[in-house]
Amino acid sequence: MDLAFMGRTFLTLIEGVPLLLELAGLSLTIGAAFALLLATMRLSGVAVLDWTAQSYIFVFRGTPLLVQIFLIYYGLGQFRPALQDIGLWWFFREPFYCAVFALTLNTAAYAAEIFRGGLLSVPHGQIEAAKACGMSRLQRFRRITLPIAVRQALPAYGNEIILMVKATSLASVITLMEVTGLAHRLIAQSFRAVEVFVVAGAIYLFINFVVTRVILAVEWRLSPHLRRAPDVEAPMKPAPAHARGA
Amino acid sequence: MTDVAVSVRNLRKSFGALEVLKGVSLEAREGDVISILGASGSGKSTMLRCINMLEIPDDGEVTIGGETIALKKTRRGVQPADGRQVDRIRSEVAMVFQSFNLWSHMTILENVIEAPIHVQGRDKAVAHDEGMALLEKVGIADKAKHYPSHLSGGQQQRAAIARALAMRPRVMLFDEPTSALDPELVGEVLRVMRSLAEEGRTMLVVTHEMGFARDVSNRVMYLHQGVVECEGEPQAMFANPESERFRQFISSHR
Repeated sequence: MDLAFMGRTFLTLIEGVPLLLELAGLSLTIGAAFALLLATMRLSGVAVLDWTAQSYIFVFRGTPLLVQIFLIYYGLGQFRPALQDIGLWWFFREPFYCAVFALTLNTAAYAAEIFRGGLLSVPHGQIEAAKACGMSRLQRFRRITLPIAVRQALPAYGNEIILMVKATSLASVITLMEVTGLAHRLIAQSFRAVEVFVVAGAIYLFINFVVTRVILAVEWRLSPHLRRAPDVEAPMKPAPAHARGA
Repeated sequence: MTDVAVSVRNLRKSFGALEVLKGVSLEAREGDVISILGASGSGKSTMLRCINMLEIPDDGEVTIGGETIALKKTRRGVQPADGRQVDRIRSEVAMVFQSFNLWSHMTILENVIEAPIHVQGRDKAVAHDEGMALLEKVGIADKAKHYPSHLSGGQQQRAAIARALAMRPRVMLFDEPTSALDPELVGEVLRVMRSLAEEGRTMLVVTHEMGFARDVSNRVMYLHQGVVECEGEPQAMFANPESERFRQFISSHR
């Protein structure tokens, strides 16, 4: 192990981190919104919507992300004239957009099922209580269903975030110079695969360490009801007369 | 004559082939406390749930404070004609459930002030003060910042009653409020309900608590297989049951 070389490698690879974060951040954000739409389609009770969402999820979970990236970047590239006609070529010409697109479609499929599970876990009685006090459908979703579902889905969704951070490495196959892409180039120049990949692996490990801590912190913040009761601030007051005995 | 708070006329409801309500009527004046009794499956909870449209009746009419809930026939069965009317009426008819159904992600106080602020659009500070006063009233003001999971069943049900009261409801519906409680916790909830009855609140109470039905309510209604078998003043009904079925029912619930 050549520590000086690894130090230089680190400085090179770290330049790929902003691109990695952009890919993961963008696709996770857009993907989550899309996933929420898919999950509500699955739960809509309308056969066509449910079936459409199910097929989508089946296809994107059932095929490798690598294949999806190839198909979107190289596959759609073959239809350049048609894409130019409808004014979408500027998008599919750029490997960055293609990578974000593929990652988004992929994470949406997984996250949709995670969100669906979260939404299904909301106790029916709590939704009924919201109905009974006159909340509209939208209010019920925003104030009761969604907050409870998010808490249920968070641990599983944390997994998905970590998977996405790692999945950005596949963007290197369509020329993007994120951490793995830079690592490949460095190996081609230096023929020192072990050192370079150890450093690359360590970078992913560190990012995911931070991600894990953040998820844990969010989980902790969102679940005071699962922790011990807070200490009683005011001294216990005697119950009022009518509650003690009437 | 006092005003009619709730009137239910000729309610019918089936679940599949099972006809649960076969034409039930009820009228509650302001200040009435009506206990609704019956064996399980007699339709008493379904009737209560039809009043705030948690179940949509197949036929019949529900009128709250003079306003009849508009229903329409669709291909998927009977539906409310105007969702906003239902939401508005629901905010005047508070419900207390058998299983409390407090919102698990909110503190007790947040549970209590949720509907006043977000449904009725009341001032936050006012709702907060009123909420604290109500928690004081039901004897759990010290639990305001706790979450439902931190409370005993009896405390949760008292919190749920405070949540219902916070909406300043015209009518309160109680759906077997003590049935999910350990026997030693039933008393604390019944005491709160008794104090509400003494304040003159209009209450419809589905219950198995014969003591409450006899001593607190001013009317008792006994359902059997989806029809009103008998109803009247509790003293007369309990002392001298006209219906043989009701006599058997009360003797088996002693």
